[in-house]
Amino acid sequence: MSPRTIAAAQIALLVAVLGVGVALALRVNGYYVFVLANVALLALVGMGMNVLIGLTGQISFGHVGFYALGAYTVAVLGKMGVSFWISWPLGAVIATLFGGVLALPALRVKGPYLAMVTIAFGFIIEHGIVEARGLTGGQNGIMGIASPALGSIRGERAVAIIALISAGVACIGYMLIARGTWGAALRAVRGSEIAAESIGLNPLVIKTAAFAISAFTAGAAGGLFAPLSGFVTPNTFGFSQSILFVLVVMIGGAGSAAGPLVGAVIVGLLPELLSSLEDFRLLFFGGLLLLVLWVAPGGLVGLWQAAIDRLRAILITAKPPATLAAPDIIEPLQQRARAGLSVDGLSIRFGGVHAVSDLSFEAAPGQVTSLIGPNGAGKTTALNMLSGFYRPSSGGFTLGDLHLGGAPAMRVARSGLARTYQTSQLFGELSVIDNVALALSRGKLGTLFGRARINAKPVRMRAAALLAFSVYRGDPLARAEDLPHVDRRFVEIARALALDPDALLLDEPAAGLSSEDKQQLGRLLRKIADAGIAIVVVEHDMALVMGVSDKIVVLDQGRRLAVGTPTEIQANASVRQAYLGDGSATPSVAARKPTEGAPEMLGVNALVVGYGAEPILHEVDIQVRRGEVVALLGANGAGKSTLMRTLCGLHRPVTSGGVTLDGQDVTSMGAEKMVALGMAVSPEGRQVFPELSVLDNIRLGAFLHPEGREARVEDMLTRFPRLRERLHQRAGLLSGGEQQMLAVARALMSRPRILLLDEPSLGLAPKVVADLFAALDKLREEDMTVLVVDQMAALALSLADRAYVLERGRIIASGDALSIGRDPALTQAYLGA
Amino acid sequence: MLLVSALISGIGLGSMYGLMALGFYVTYAVSSTVNFAQGSSMMLGAVLTFALTRNLGLPMPLAILIALALCALYGLVVEFIAVRPFANRGSDSWLMATVALGIVLDNAVMFTFGKEPRNLSSPLAQSSLEIGGVSLGVYPLQVLIPVIGVALAAGLFYLSRRTRWGTAMLAIAQNRSAARLMGIPITKAVAFAYALSTLFAGIAGVLIAPLFNVHSEMGTLFGLKAFAVAILGGITSAWGVMIAGFIFGIAEALVTSTLGSGYTQIITFALVILALAWRPNGLFGRAEVKKV
Amino acid sequence: MPKAFPSFTRRAMLAGASALAITFSAGAVSAAEPIKIGLVTALSGQSALAGEALSRGMTIAIDEINAKGGLLGGRMIELVRRDDEGNPAKGVTAARELIFREKVAVLFGGLDTPVSMAMVPLVNSEKVPFMGPWAAGTGITKNDGNPNFAFRVSAVDEIVDIGMLDYAQKTFKSAKPGMILVNNAWGESNEMGLKAALDAKGLKAVGVEKFEANDVDLTPQLTRLRAAGADSLFMVGNVGPSAQVVKSMDRMGWKVPIVSHWGPAGGRFTELAGPNGKDVHFVQTYSFFGKLSPVGERVVAALKAKYPSIKGLDDITPAVGVANAYDGMHLAALAIAAAGSTDGDAVRQGFYKIGKYDGLIKTYDKPFSPKVHDALQASDYVWAQFIDNRIVPVTN
Repeated sequence: MSPRTIAAAQIALLVAVLGVGVALALRVNGYYVFVLANVALLALVGMGMNVLIGLTGQISFGHVGFYALGAYTVAVLGKMGVSFWISWPLGAVIATLFGGVLALPALRVKGPYLAMVTIAFGFIIEHGIVEARGLTGGQNGIMGIASPALGSIRGERAVAIIALISAGVACIGYMLIARGTWGAALRAVRGSEIAAESIGLNPLVIKTAAFAISAFTAGAAGGLFAPLSGFVTPNTFGFSQSILFVLVVMIGGAGSAAGPLVGAVIVGLLPELLSSLEDFRLLFFGGLLLLVLWVAPGGLVGLWQAAIDRLRAILITAKPPATLAAPDIIEPLQQRARAGLSVDGLSIRFGGVHAVSDLSFEAAPGQVTSLIGPNGAGKTTALNMLSGFYRPSSGGFTLGDLHLGGAPAMRVARSGLARTYQTSQLFGELSVIDNVALALSRGKLGTLFGRARINAKPVRMRAAALLAFSVYRGDPLARAEDLPHVDRRFVEIARALALDPDALLLDEPAAGLSSEDKQQLGRLLRKIADAGIAIVVVEHDMALVMGVSDKIVVLDQGRRLAVGTPTEIQANASVRQAYLGDGSATPSVAARKPTEGAPEMLGVNALVVGYGAEPILHEVDIQVRRGEVVALLGANGAGKSTLMRTLCGLHRPVTSGGVTLDGQDVTSMGAEKMVALGMAVSPEGRQVFPELSVLDNIRLGAFLHPEGREARVEDMLTRFPRLRERLHQRAGLLSGGEQQMLAVARALMSRPRILLLDEPSLGLAPKVVADLFAALDKLREEDMTVLVVDQMAALALSLADRAYVLERGRIIASGDALSIGRDPALTQAYLGA
Repeated sequence: MLLVSALISGIGLGSMYGLMALGFYVTYAVSSTVNFAQGSSMMLGAVLTFALTRNLGLPMPLAILIALALCALYGLVVEFIAVRPFANRGSDSWLMATVALGIVLDNAVMFTFGKEPRNLSSPLAQSSLEIGGVSLGVYPLQVLIPVIGVALAAGLFYLSRRTRWGTAMLAIAQNRSAARLMGIPITKAVAFAYALSTLFAGIAGVLIAPLFNVHSEMGTLFGLKAFAVAILGGITSAWGVMIAGFIFGIAEALVTSTLGSGYTQIITFALVILALAWRPNGLFGRAEVKKV
Repeated sequence: MPKAFPSFTRRAMLAGASALAITFSAGAVSAAEPIKIGLVTALSGQSALAGEALSRGMTIAIDEINAKGGLLGGRMIELVRRDDEGNPAKGVTAARELIFREKVAVLFGGLDTPVSMAMVPLVNSEKVPFMGPWAAGTGITKNDGNPNFAFRVSAVDEIVDIGMLDYAQKTFKSAKPGMILVNNAWGESNEMGLKAALDAKGLKAVGVEKFEANDVDLTPQLTRLRAAGADSLFMVGNVGPSAQVVKSMDRMGWKVPIVSHWGPAGGRFTELAGPNGKDVHFVQTYSFFGKLSPVGERVVAALKAKYPSIKGLDDITPAVGVANAYDGMHLAALAIAAAGSTDGDAVRQGFYKIGKYDGLIKTYDKPFSPKVHDALQASDYVWAQFIDNRIVPVTN
């Protein structure tokens, strides 16, 4: 079935349900009419709430306020003799305006803060009504509200029919929004507000619209409630009613058109079915609610959908993905004159730290400029400034003649500077092609119910052409969050290109790609550059960088270390040192112990690990024997971090293969358990507890072994005298080197049988590194079993008995430390030369 | 005089709000979830104390201890049946589930305890404090409540820094995965936080019962205001929520005594909205770093 | 097709089967078919106790009637209760259910005036007699229905308010009264009534203060009243909040006479309010203390037999709820008997035909007429105060 026939079938079903409802409203007795109308009103509110909760992921516990505004507008004006047909829409409009106004403070806040703002709003309206006695009748409310007539049908029957039709219209409206450009934009903002900004969407406007829409339906429903019940009083509009509104969406299932309908039926009928329980009604209501939430945490429609999907998976074998209609007709990227990016003195400080200082370079149109440097050099920070997410402390940048330094992300994007992200930030709920088509709109979304901006034929064709250009070969209608890692990378590039940018910023596009994919990526970058776009790429894969770049800018500790062509950079001595270290500051390689016969402490057997479909580690085998120091070397992006996270139990589950710790299988064990078995970790980036004192950090290391703790603390302070001076300071205030010592000390406190050191030298000054490694060398002398990962190969090797070299998720070399140090494979892995 | 009495009653109420808000703080810090029906936990503390003293005839201190222990136990129940099943699945439905559990508890108490409001008398709430024969217009308990409130906040502060489990909880709040690498069992810690949170609410209930009436719905509005206080203070700061409690309580009393009670909730809740518009992470909360 | 909807919901719902069975077990009308009497009141939440008192009063009356062979030639009376949670919207839904599905002959309302007010247009248009055993809002019986189906055996706010002022002037010589009222419809209705009563005497309240039902500390409000120079207070609120007023005054060391609506009678006021609770004088329609009439003896005995939790007279709380509901039920039964059928309009006229009825509160003699829908009048109110746990009529 095509989407169009499915939509037609859904609407037909809806009309049929409505028809039955209206027929019932005309025939059954006054009680059922009333219940039916109440269900319809709940559905009406639910449809709007679904835009808010289901599409944008915001929550509100104050929508009863809008409901009350609609109801009181109809009641007050009705008493003045104004026709329902005027006061009803007016009430909805007033509610909408309030919704827009409330959105201003509400959308500055998130999560529980948002919940509170909306709760407060509900209370203010409720009590405001009480105090506005002259208008609202205060606590006694307004009685005797006349109901509208539909021809000869009067009273609650007329209101019920209007309510049913309104709920139906709202349902269709929801479907139109959900399937249209605005729906895509709302879901995009939910998926990634950051990425939404970087394709030129304005999250504030979009979320405000969602708030206003939900306020509109709540106001409209309230306007029907008044004539339905014939009265309004403030305590009809209490906090618990707001909770029921949220419940309608959550029980039904957020984000589906049928969800609020199902939810309204349950929330509306359940209390009625339980009414004969008299005083036990609420008890049972609460209990049944818990039960429904347990059974269907994603809502009943979600449960149904999951069942259908499972059935379908059993009955229908996978069909080949749809392919795109010949996109060759369309030129995906227009040939036009484009502006270059010029960066001048860009600097930013975080606290006292100069993350980037005085960075200047030119990225010419049609050229690939690479930004490289060791981890922590400030590359991504620079990119974040260039894309408008960070405000530079000084300096700026221009795109052609346009000064963009300090401009917000949305404006930077609309001005023609597109970007991708280190961890790709696709809009997960949208299809692949919608991701691209939405970006083509450049933030201009068109009418609320329209879908032309993402669904018109030329738009689809162009999006398809961009996907094809960006070597995406999969199903364009697949949900982005279901894509394998490699496809996400390419789709994200296609989405960035959809802005038709002058310059494109790419943050580690090759991370996690296979070598074939990397080659394809290299070719793609060239093609994009050939269209005249200036490319700035942050990348660790040196083979790719050296192969594709016209110019390389090397960053080290926030400063520009070198700039030049790939050949110049490879020959640059200071670059070599920044990457590999020189080993001169460390103890000489000496006094290796024979550990041949020692029993295995840590074993890794044919380990395969991946986040999506594409594995990051391919059949990795590693062995660490008792009393041995083993180094794991490899460039950034080789898979070292993933391997370490897997070894310490933070990444689970593994795809295949196994890990053993002292002979015990720990493949499916979590970190807490592995620590109990004698493993200790000094994680990448230190990860000290910043608000705790140095002493508390050290003590926490002994969490599982508190006996004799203080003696060991003393031992650590002897080992790292610098920590003694800082003992009562907050760990967050320590320098990088001190934090690293702290992380090691903390790890040692658990009396480990094996210590995992993840990038201990990262971002540290050479002198500090020397001190640190002297301390680590002492550990080696004490026969501690250590697995150390470090980018600074020379440093790690100076410490190690043996070493493994990891490249692109595979072990490409292993052996004793001295021979690995001389192995050309090592330099190849690091500098691609 | 108007101001003085407003200040005294505001501080007393404010410390109650702050105490319950501390309960929101401890669970939010380690799990990013809260018991939305915290008012029911407060009611439980008061109702159990009443039942144990009046129906079983236990001496007050013993009754309070048992009641608080049962409150903590109820916290474990909340976590186990209304939070964990949803948090584990990444669902936000814990919000609704805690509300549902609160409804169940309120009604279960109504049927067992009775529908009648009762009074838990306390020797500390019999006659007003006097200085030189002049009544100060406050019961000793009202002076005690802020003292206990601040003492508990200080105790929480002290324990969290001086005990193994305390620092472990702080560690979880600051860096979850690093805490796991220390061998800290997160699941247990979250359950413990819920027990502690409910315990705080229970203490608030026991303290306020003699000034108030004991019945199944006594906590509803209280819980909501305490949530407002937790948010106002910035739910990530223990001292912040305590101070926000005082601010909220004093604001309530001041508005009531100057403008009249009809405007109390309108103005206090409007202040909450304005405060959050001004500082989106609460008055004392730390802004989350924008990660790209 | 009255059956269509139930079967539809039956399919649609996953709720308890037992609930369904009870809900939809409607059969054909026969001679043995019971006469259903509806009661819509708060059965949960803050006012649950009031709902319980109404249920008890009605149940005792129904038991008596059924023991005598029921009505209309042997038809038993059956009480059908619904919880309105104090919310008018829920109350009206429940009233509709009782009228349309349970086909109740007479509908009893509950404690909250707004709920009853919201139900009045419905009973008038559906022609089902309504009996108010509690809510005192004036407009409930004085509505614009023609004919008017709303009757009441309870106090009426505007009459109570006049009585409160008279009593305060006479007993306490009050000249500068202040008002402390619960912030709900009941409080607001009395605010209007008291103001009207004061206006009629050329007086003015020195201050009007409101409190929420859940307020803990009322000193800010009371301090304002004291500063305004109030020499006596009119208090309107349920037992819990009323106790908070007394406790807060006690704390402030402020002693002025309090003349109250009947809120304090709704529970263990002296336990809640402390020793000063006895200084509150409040209006009652009935008190079980003092010398009881034979009817009173009978009702107390029946209550003790039926409800084991009632051990003494002070367990019959709120007494007015029990008494009003008991008399209201008997009067409704007399109306049905006079009508000779359960037809709504016939029962309405049946109320007018009631002659003499020896009730709990008093002996009613032609209590209702097309002009008078309130069975109790100002002369039936008694002023009372708490002595220990007993509500004792004030003697002066």
